[in-house]
Amino acid sequence: MKINIEGLLVYFPYDYIYPEQYSYMLELKRTLDAKGHGVLEMPSGTGKTISLLSLIVAYQKAFPLEVTKLIYCSRTVPEIEKVVEELRKLMEFYSKETGESNNFLALALSSRKNLCIHPEVSALRFGKEVDGKCHSLTASYIRAQRHSNADLPACSFYEEFDAVGRQVPLPAGVYNLDDLKDFGRRKGWCPYYLARYSILHANIVVYSYHYLLDPKIADLVSKELSKKSIVVFDEAHNIDNVCIDSMSVNITRRTLDNCHKNVDTLQNTIQKIKETDTAKLKEEYRRLVEGLKEANVARETDVYLANPVLPDEILREAVPGTIRTAEHFVGFLRRFLEYLKSRLRVQHVVQESAPQFLKDIFDKVCIDRKPLRFCAERLQSLLRTLEIADIADFSAVTLISNFATLVSTYSQGFTIIIEPFEDRTPTIANPVLHFSCMDPSIAIKPVFQRFQSVIITSGTLSPLDIYPRILDFRPVTVASFTMTLARTCLCPLIVGRGNDQVALSSKFETREDFAVIRNYGNLLLEMSAIVPDGIVAFFTSYVYMENIVAAWYEQGILENIQRNKLIFIETQDAAETSMALEKYQEACENGRGAILLSVARGKVSEGIDFVHHFGRAVIMFGVPYVYTQSRILKARLEYLRDQFQIRENDFLTFDAMRHAAQCVGRAIRGKTDYGLMIFADKRYARADKRGKLPRWIQEHISDGSLNLTVDETVHLSKHFLRQMAQPFRQEDQLGLSLLTLEQLQSEEMLQKIAQIAHQT
Amino acid sequence: MASLSEEVLLVLKKVRQRKQDGTLYLMAERIAWGPEGKDRFTVSHLYADIRCQKISPDGKAKVQLQLVLHTGESTTFHFSNESSAIKDRDAAKELLQQLLPKFKKKANKELEEKNRMLQEDPVLFQLYKDLVVSQVISAEEFWANKLGGVNNTDPALFNNKQEVGISGAFLADIRPQTDGCNGLRYNLTADIIESVFRTYPAVKEKYSENVPHNLTEKEFWTCFFQSHYFHRDRINTGTQDIFSECAKQDEKGLKSMVIQGVKNPFVDLLTLDDKTLDEGYGVSTTLPSTSNANRTVKESSNYAIIKRFNHHSAMVLAAGSHFWTPLCITLPAQFFFYIFFETSSTDGNSRDSDFFQPPVKKVKLQEAIEYDDLQRVNRPKTVPLNLKKSDRYAHGPVPLQSQQYTTSQEIINSVNYIRHEMANYKPNLTQVLSSTVASSAIAALSPGGVLMQTGAQQAINQMIPTEVQGELKHLYVAAGELLRHFWSCFPVNTPFLEEKVMKMKSNLERFQMTKLRPFQEKIQRQYLSTNLTGHLEEMFQTAYNKFHAWQTRRMMRKT
Repeated sequence: MKINIEGLLVYFPYDYIYPEQYSYMLELKRTLDAKGHGVLEMPSGTGKTISLLSLIVAYQKAFPLEVTKLIYCSRTVPEIEKVVEELRKLMEFYSKETGESNNFLALALSSRKNLCIHPEVSALRFGKEVDGKCHSLTASYIRAQRHSNADLPACSFYEEFDAVGRQVPLPAGVYNLDDLKDFGRRKGWCPYYLARYSILHANIVVYSYHYLLDPKIADLVSKELSKKSIVVFDEAHNIDNVCIDSMSVNITRRTLDNCHKNVDTLQNTIQKIKETDTAKLKEEYRRLVEGLKEANVARETDVYLANPVLPDEILREAVPGTIRTAEHFVGFLRRFLEYLKSRLRVQHVVQESAPQFLKDIFDKVCIDRKPLRFCAERLQSLLRTLEIADIADFSAVTLISNFATLVSTYSQGFTIIIEPFEDRTPTIANPVLHFSCMDPSIAIKPVFQRFQSVIITSGTLSPLDIYPRILDFRPVTVASFTMTLARTCLCPLIVGRGNDQVALSSKFETREDFAVIRNYGNLLLEMSAIVPDGIVAFFTSYVYMENIVAAWYEQGILENIQRNKLIFIETQDAAETSMALEKYQEACENGRGAILLSVARGKVSEGIDFVHHFGRAVIMFGVPYVYTQSRILKARLEYLRDQFQIRENDFLTFDAMRHAAQCVGRAIRGKTDYGLMIFADKRYARADKRGKLPRWIQEHISDGSLNLTVDETVHLSKHFLRQMAQPFRQEDQLGLSLLTLEQLQSEEMLQKIAQIAHQT
Repeated sequence: MASLSEEVLLVLKKVRQRKQDGTLYLMAERIAWGPEGKDRFTVSHLYADIRCQKISPDGKAKVQLQLVLHTGESTTFHFSNESSAIKDRDAAKELLQQLLPKFKKKANKELEEKNRMLQEDPVLFQLYKDLVVSQVISAEEFWANKLGGVNNTDPALFNNKQEVGISGAFLADIRPQTDGCNGLRYNLTADIIESVFRTYPAVKEKYSENVPHNLTEKEFWTCFFQSHYFHRDRINTGTQDIFSECAKQDEKGLKSMVIQGVKNPFVDLLTLDDKTLDEGYGVSTTLPSTSNANRTVKESSNYAIIKRFNHHSAMVLAAGSHFWTPLCITLPAQFFFYIFFETSSTDGNSRDSDFFQPPVKKVKLQEAIEYDDLQRVNRPKTVPLNLKKSDRYAHGPVPLQSQQYTTSQEIINSVNYIRHEMANYKPNLTQVLSSTVASSAIAALSPGGVLMQTGAQQAINQMIPTEVQGELKHLYVAAGELLRHFWSCFPVNTPFLEEKVMKMKSNLERFQMTKLRPFQEKIQRQYLSTNLTGHLEEMFQTAYNKFHAWQTRRMMRKT
């Protein structure tokens, strides 16, 4: 269908449209018109992705000069592939309707592991190995060496791409990861480098967050992307954690030992080169004197995306003399290393700020702030000069140098915590230095500054106002959309009591209470008897789940559950969990039914959808608060309070509720799906918790279902499931939650739609 | 059935059945029981009919032995001899234990199936009697055609008995009970044992290794329940029992399943992340290390429970799902597990290549992005049923006869078609018959008319006694079956068919001699019209003609 969104002709590749999709596109259009940033929350399963794509592609076609590129960031590889497939559908619709062949280039980019077609390299299992191996075949000096010695192994795909691949741009079309691989195989080109090269002129790029948010990767991949791009962060409810992760560093004794070895290797290599090829080192020295001028020029002319690890100031300066020669730099690294080692020999926990750390290091080993700031840059230069083949081996020293640069660059937003042992095992010495980022806005700042529109969207972003605050940006649109439903296909219930009136809660005081554990078991047992197919249960943490499972086993509850359904349990081993997941789905498929016990914040809760019969009920045992005793978290909470005036409790509750909403939201996909959402903790009934759930869940919680017993829950669930089992046809939805073009154009409907978007 | 010279293996007196005293006899082929003072058996079961035996637990007051038949019925014997009840019962049990497996092998699946078919289909049974029992054709020939035909046309009919999966809680059903003196008693049934074997092939292996050479059955299961293997929360370190090996084997199985990975890329957590953080970066790297050294005993036992549950569920699932494949039905459980592991390992190998993945992935991707309610559906138009009382529709009588169902679209089409035809219908009055000619034609075509003389059904009904009719019917069916065999040989293009056609011809002749002739003579004796078998003869003659034609042609080719 073709829709008119405030004067913009949008091709929408379906015959019908949900009212909230229309509303969503409206808000999105306004955001793009204003060239500003937006925060949009729309329930999962209401076709968020296709709405986004339809509108932005239409916008790009209408204003090709104002918006040149869409950068779509998603979280997981399957998500990325889904987005590209939806895009393909849209493009097919375009060419069918307009009769012209499509002139858009859209492609997905992923790591080498997912794109490599080299028979040996792609057979490796881990991403890091693939990267390392690839690097050892394709690094520039390796290839230079090959000129003199033709026996060295080469990657024919890369050579072929390098020889001819850059001359002809990738023909227009939609390329998923597999399509890129196919194309690469046909042409004999390396798909990874082809994709990396092609994103510069592609109209639409789909990749994962890290390519934009992690400074180490963004600097390689994304820095030349056009300023006139629209950036979309989908599933962005965890974006602050991604930002923080990419900027935080942990140093253990093992890191330092590895680093030691690295430095030794560096020294030996320098010695060797000195004997054979001093010119090379001299050349490097000259370069360093001239400074990082090139980078500076590029940034000033706004060609590159800024790198938060490479602050503006140092670009204008030359590398300081103390670390300019290779030997001096290695000596410098050694001193720094010894200092870190001495710091790790503490007996008690130390927490200090970056300036304190710098003062201490100056006092103890006379290392200045300035050379520290150049550490990362200097090491890169040295590694290039020394022609080190396998960069992966040098990860330890790279880590240390990154740490040095970060700690000397940012006086605020970071904290240093040195713990001599783990809290749980105080007798085993295992010192760790955490250099922890507390301010997610540092990593994302360049993105907001550079690109004209950044859209942050997800199914669960409530409360909406908190994201602009913690990411430090000013959105022009903030909206939350509800789900229009012809039948209430989600049924949130809050179970507060057991049948024996024991209050159910996962709070610390009652965590070991057998009465609570037993009642939780009863709840699961009763539900397993009435819910068809799959049930997913989430616990607040892995340890808590282990304890409960053990208790249930001893009490014989699990045995009784097994009479109704098979039980699968998430473990800390990803491969094992994957197998359990597949078996779980198999059991749901063949009608036996199964229960999956899983952990909020775990991999399953983050990346796996339980659509239709794979999840007819989600049970959330307890409120998934983060482990509050961690010092890093405490420091972060303090920082949030001081800098952003966000109270500790508010943030913790917000964090817990977004994870709870994520977990329960996994079960609903689309309006034909249905599922029970059971919150088994009496604390959910409180207004401060409930109010932080997304609006589309909140509005279905009735006052009567705030403090149910297990029996009442079973009763309500039975009723709900019976109702849902009735046939549900398209005609039932039409006009209410599903619109035809004519219905969409009626005045009355437009008024109704205006109410869907909930402005805050 | 009781042959005179039956060998009696064991006689037990004072055995009650249905509160009646009597004697139990175990004979070479059957078990029988007769009430006191009478010389006939009121209960008699062939060993082949018995599915299993059950005995009452040791502590119980009544000493009983129960026989469960394949049909589901059961018979209970109560041993009431005070002094030697248990001894008697055990003697019977031991003997049965030795005898039953022998007969079980005999009554294999195929025979059962044939038996069932014969019982369900009286026509087939009659045919079987006519052709096989009278040795016109051999049993194999008969079944080769029948079973194959049934299998090919309707596998659902053949497999209509669905294999039952294993209950997920079968181990939970073994409820231990205290026996009052500081011990536990486990109730084991044949079903549970079978479930254990099917789910844990390693245990079955142990069983066949050790029972009865090293351990008695009872000792074996006692061991099993005492073992750390059964109590899965324990960590099996350094235990000496025979099941520690099973645990290791399970571990291996689990590991191989894990290594094999998953086929659906959407649940593969390993490939979910696009770019993991390098080591050393990130906030949350302080997870408790998973190495066993750091784990407390409690934690690792918890971990063991979780792992076992996953494994158990996977095995139960596998045991259930694999019985769908017809290949496994005839195989004993342990073989089937080998097959399972073998196929899975080959799967694991082929998975690495890219060529294996895309189809699954493509389908899953398409599934994931599909919004079916946003699309206009193009299903065939249906006629909505306008029901005044819907419950009458749901509960009303249902016609049993099978019908040729047509879709509503077809009905609508044909109605439209007829309406269209009728609208355009114009009688062509110049070419109709005159009324006299028409009525004479109708008369000629009516029963008894000139053209309908051969079909004088009424006459046959009245003229011929019913038993002759029945016999004739059987003859027709049997002859039809033989002729079908005969004609199915043409065209004769393989040596096998050649041989068969020769044989079938002689079969036909034999049939004519042994069945048809006596029948003809019989009806002659009864002074009935010999014309009854005319058609049969004719069919035989046609077959012979065909045969001769074929033979002469073959001779000519040969010479």
